[in-house]
Amino acid sequence: MFNKLSRRAGSGVAVTVAAALMLTACGGNGGGEAGGTPDPNEEVTLNFTWWGNEDRAERYNEAIALFEEENPNIDVNGTFMDFPAYWEKRQTEAAGGGLPDVMQFDYSYLRQYGQNGLLLDLTEYEGNGLTTDSIDETLLATGKLEDQTLAVPTGYNAWSLFENPAVIEQAGAEGYEGGTSWEDYDAYMASVTEASGGEVYGGTDYTGRIQNFELQLRQEGRELFTEEGEINFTQEELAEFWSSAQDVRDNATIPARQLEEVAPKSGFGANLTASEMTWSNFMGGYLADTGAEDLTILAPPTDDPSVKDLYQKPSMLHAVGAQTEHPEAAVAFVEFLINSPEVGEIFGATLGVPASETALEGAALEGPELEVKEYLDSVADRIGDPPAAPVVGYGALENTFLTLGTSIGLGAITPEDAAQQFFDEVAVTLGS
Amino acid sequence: MTTIETNPTAVPPVQPTRKRRQPRRKTAATVAWIIGIVLLTAVVLYPLLWMISASLKPSAEFGSNQSFLPENPTFDNFVKVMEGVAGIPTWRFFWNSTILGIGAVIGTVISSSMAAYAFARLDFKGRPLFFTMMIGTLLLPFHVLIIPQYIVFRNLGMVDTFLPLLVGKFLATEAFFVFLMVQFIRNLPKELDEAARIDGCGHWRIFWSITIPLIKPALITSSIFAFIWSWNDFLGPLLYLNSPENYPLPLALRVFNDQTSGSDYGATVAISVLALLPVMLFFIIFQRFLVAGVATQGLKG
Repeated sequence: MFNKLSRRAGSGVAVTVAAALMLTACGGNGGGEAGGTPDPNEEVTLNFTWWGNEDRAERYNEAIALFEEENPNIDVNGTFMDFPAYWEKRQTEAAGGGLPDVMQFDYSYLRQYGQNGLLLDLTEYEGNGLTTDSIDETLLATGKLEDQTLAVPTGYNAWSLFENPAVIEQAGAEGYEGGTSWEDYDAYMASVTEASGGEVYGGTDYTGRIQNFELQLRQEGRELFTEEGEINFTQEELAEFWSSAQDVRDNATIPARQLEEVAPKSGFGANLTASEMTWSNFMGGYLADTGAEDLTILAPPTDDPSVKDLYQKPSMLHAVGAQTEHPEAAVAFVEFLINSPEVGEIFGATLGVPASETALEGAALEGPELEVKEYLDSVADRIGDPPAAPVVGYGALENTFLTLGTSIGLGAITPEDAAQQFFDEVAVTLGS
Repeated sequence: MTTIETNPTAVPPVQPTRKRRQPRRKTAATVAWIIGIVLLTAVVLYPLLWMISASLKPSAEFGSNQSFLPENPTFDNFVKVMEGVAGIPTWRFFWNSTILGIGAVIGTVISSSMAAYAFARLDFKGRPLFFTMMIGTLLLPFHVLIIPQYIVFRNLGMVDTFLPLLVGKFLATEAFFVFLMVQFIRNLPKELDEAARIDGCGHWRIFWSITIPLIKPALITSSIFAFIWSWNDFLGPLLYLNSPENYPLPLALRVFNDQTSGSDYGATVAISVLALLPVMLFFIIFQRFLVAGVATQGLKG
């Protein structure tokens, strides 16, 4: 009973808070006068928060110590949590008016918080305390909402295809060259599975992830959502997408049941599949999960390599709370985190390949991180404009997509019924 | 049975077979029982045993090694966990949890028993109304309270201290415990109080010398629950504590397992095992009092 209580409490927070966020929406917009550098004589305490593991915490502590050394009058209180809990806490704080001064932010929450006026508009600080010329314009645009700069990307990544050479060798198969047609990729997965006699698999059913659907749509010159946040594909197209992989599911990819067994690791992380498509910043996590010495990172399949189907996704951003009492100091801290070469050196590419040129220089990437950077450079021709900031509730839709994909893999539901369920969910989430 | 066993010579020829068969049947039944019980226990204990075994697996074995036992058993996970998180030693998290747990027990026992005594024994105006209101708080969904409570504690400047997590416990806000004790006190014979009053006791003395000793089982039940709830509470500390130095165990535990920046499964399981030990010890120690308390309560009639 008590376990249930707390679990329900957790999910309940989200519901209650959604309402409360709206109530407090008008409460934002405090802040002080525009621009300038912080007063060096004023004693200031900044609250700063991030999500991540203990490794990231150590890096941030190092960066904070450095910042405090350079700005003796500013005291930064760092606090951290894991990702789901981090957002539970932010939502309660948002409703209670206690958001921290500086926050590590996620792309998928930007619209929700930005629309409600909970984030400080940084536009007036650009070139006046905050350097943004160091960041690629399309990437910088991901932190903007309706002409307001609400957050600054720390780093970026792109959709990619990972391959584990050790598994390929174990299977006695040929590796994938990357960037060829979807048909080629399907054939490659089947060849690995066959060569190993079913011991390992060529890959994971890629139709389970909404990003692969997005990729195929972008290859046709379309997006998942319109600029206005309306859904931009039909139920039939989705059913067709899921059905298209039926053959691969039956013969080549790892069975959904086996994936459930190794969760929370992925099939790739558990050394059961030779390849998997995911964001390029998974390199570090996959190296740890597989225990492999080396992983290859390749371009995802495409039927037409000249189409700009990939995009730079901000791996995370930094935002300032609208109600901060020390906007100048907060902006100075964001500037330090984004642009300073020292911070680049401390973090390397653990927050994504640094967005800012100056931080990237300081980072002096090497090993696997350099491979990721080289991959991103190698697909530069395929990188186009990023889609509009994710709709409110995108995270939930992404999750539904994943769950339905798993159900299809388990044979519990047909692609047609799954598409129906997804659109029911869309109707609720987007309120259309 | 006993006569047969003590006097084997007097047994007729048919008897030995029956005699032999009988114990055998008994053994068979016992064996079946034991197997059944062991199986049931195994099912119940399996997650616990899995956790202990998994805490000895190197992180890379999670996912690849499906078997129960680790292939390369190692204590590295425990060593890593004891090193702490981001410069904060692990004992600090245990210490924070302990302060919160013990604070919760003390607060609950003192405040709830006093509130319960008032509801059960004092005759004051509006008592039925207040009692109903108290029971009503049991029906109030927790979610409704989160944000107003947060705003109150924030305006009082108590965020990032243990106060928001403890103040309520000292004000008898857990209606469940108050109700439990009210029911207990109502069952105590009123004659005891009256006798004490004739001897010149006031309410304070009656409460302290008559009621408290007699409701010990309820106090112990409350202590156990208050401690376990506080020890396992995640949401409260999550909302009210900001500085990592103030984190209790459930928060620290999550930091080892952030899906977005790489998870150390081995370390997560290892610290879970360590986090489990104190609460188990607490239960084992106090559970004896609990059983004793219920037994004596039954005798009193």
